[in-house]
Amino acid sequence: MNHPKTLRLAAIAAACATLLAACGGGGDDGPKTVALEFAAVAGSTPVKCGTEVTSLGSGNVNAQVKDFRFYVSNVQMLKADGSKVALTLPANDDWNYTKDGQAITLVDLEDGTGSCSGGTAATNAVIRGTVPAGDYVGFEATMGVPFALNHTDTTSAPKPMDIAAMAWSWQAGRKFAKIEVTDPQGATGTWLSKTFNVHLGSTGCTGNPASGQTVSCTAANRMAFRLGSFDPAVQKVAVDLRALLASNDITVNQAGATGCMSGGTDPECLGVFSALAIDWKADGTGTGQPVNGGQSQTLFRAVAK
Amino acid sequence: MAAAAAAVLVAACGGGGSTVVDTGTAQAGGWTWTLPAGFPVPKVPDDNPMSAAKVELGRHLFYDQRLSGNGTQACAGCHRQSRAFTDGRAVAVGSTGEAHPRNAQHLSNAAYHATITWANPSLVTLERQAETPLFGEQPVEMGVNDGNRDAVLQRLRDDPAYPARFAAAYPGEPSPIHWTNVIKALAAFQRTLISGNSLYDRWLQGRATLTPAQERGKNLFFGERAECFHCHGSFNFNDQIVHAASRIVETPFHNTGLYNIDGKGGFPEPNRGVFELTARAADMGMFRAPSLRNVEVTAPYFHDGTATTLEEVVRIYAAGGRHITSGPFAGDGRASPLKSDLITLIQLDGQEQADLVEFLKTLTDHEFLSDPRHADPFAAR
Repeated sequence: MNHPKTLRLAAIAAACATLLAACGGGGDDGPKTVALEFAAVAGSTPVKCGTEVTSLGSGNVNAQVKDFRFYVSNVQMLKADGSKVALTLPANDDWNYTKDGQAITLVDLEDGTGSCSGGTAATNAVIRGTVPAGDYVGFEATMGVPFALNHTDTTSAPKPMDIAAMAWSWQAGRKFAKIEVTDPQGATGTWLSKTFNVHLGSTGCTGNPASGQTVSCTAANRMAFRLGSFDPAVQKVAVDLRALLASNDITVNQAGATGCMSGGTDPECLGVFSALAIDWKADGTGTGQPVNGGQSQTLFRAVAK
Repeated sequence: MAAAAAAVLVAACGGGGSTVVDTGTAQAGGWTWTLPAGFPVPKVPDDNPMSAAKVELGRHLFYDQRLSGNGTQACAGCHRQSRAFTDGRAVAVGSTGEAHPRNAQHLSNAAYHATITWANPSLVTLERQAETPLFGEQPVEMGVNDGNRDAVLQRLRDDPAYPARFAAAYPGEPSPIHWTNVIKALAAFQRTLISGNSLYDRWLQGRATLTPAQERGKNLFFGERAECFHCHGSFNFNDQIVHAASRIVETPFHNTGLYNIDGKGGFPEPNRGVFELTARAADMGMFRAPSLRNVEVTAPYFHDGTATTLEEVVRIYAAGGRHITSGPFAGDGRASPLKSDLITLIQLDGQEQADLVEFLKTLTDHEFLSDPRHADPFAAR
């Protein structure tokens, strides 16, 4: 009577051992939950809608944040030996979507109040997911929407690609990031150009009239970033508005779209793309690819919670 | 050589002044196209088949001001039937009063455009194009956004007629009033805006005669010297065509020497053509050749509405580009290094220019401009 049961237990134990070994586990059991928290800052000061942000841009001026949203895709957790394991997102919901191995989360750090009135009340500051048990030392990810999901139509796309404000309809895609600041005095203020927009997205996109699909873009403009030493238990990801805007006078628009809307020759994009570590050249020949894997980016960094 | 090609083209179109070609019909699912002679069957996306109910829904939506965020502007606000669905303005003005940088295009035969709008290789269906005027923020056109898009749909749900119209257009859908279906209906309606019954078409079919001036203008248009037909030579008088049987579709864009603000062929922002999307130097000032169907009623002309009359347009092309002598955009477009090699000094005298204009006016389809099938359904109320 006991014999088959014993065998079965032994088989299960063996399977478990195999599973743990395959996952590189050292005694932990089951998958592990990871929560990557993002926080909007200017230097070391928290940024929020309706509260003046100090000392932004090359002129060190004060501003109100107007929007602060971006897509993060394909988070990979890093191990000490340099190997990578994909973070598995929860079931598709308002903020997360996974399909065919592509995982995307909308990080929304604006709450629709004050100067962010064009935004939404709902916010999402955390990318939560699971990885197999093990020790992880950091993570890397992409700010952007993967090509396969980027050029879907906004009105029928699944959440979170259905946000009208994040549509990038002139290139049949999405804004990967929509980060905007505006003159704190509004119409009575002294900014020559009232708003400085940072809209990141793919440019030079071409469709195929015979298929109706977008087939390629000359500049992908997806930002790679890597926090090689990051402990989600005690650290969060600072998203630094001051670093993003550091080299531009945000009160004027030299040429092109107001601020930088990823235009290949828009002078404001020089400083913005430098902060994002995406290849950009003033003559329009930038490749839109990460420079050295995004090592020199200054937008994201690890800070204590 | 070119004259021979033009003769062949005319013959291929069933014309030559001797043969009457009956209006053709073509089946597409449950929909029957009624097409002018020489017109191919339009391409229709697999996920948006044509139906009479959908077209009729689209017509209502196209003319309905409630479709804008603030309820003040319909698609038809910038696309008026009497002007072949453009608006007579130099540049369009949106529902919040914001000026668009570009001239509103006419919609005659929009079903056949391989790319949509003035200079955008990424917009290849009317469905995708519709997202820009509906939801665009720079500039605001219809002004639908995340804050009001449900409220706009609710206006349609609360209407006594729309629920039944949506149900008829999208049978089997339990909740058919949503934005994807709004856009599909708008696109289906636009695909029916087919214009091919102008004096020129009737002449091709042997049902009308051209005046001597129109005839001379036609010969210039299709001839080696004026070379208009290189960019405006298809049945739709442009050079970007997609239709149901298309396999390989060319999407040429052209710099016609309208500006040269820097001596290097530069166009003024934010109207630098395909360059705005690609930032490639070679794309500066590159625009899609518009269809010349109904061109008589689509003034003002060019992407930025800076030519008031057809006479002015012909004068500019006769000179091989536009020389702007003063103002912020001063520069000699004739000398632009980026100008198409098809735009050269063509030495047309005043009579010849007038003849060309006379021919262009034969492309007006007066039936199209007042066809009740395309008209404002709310006007009679």
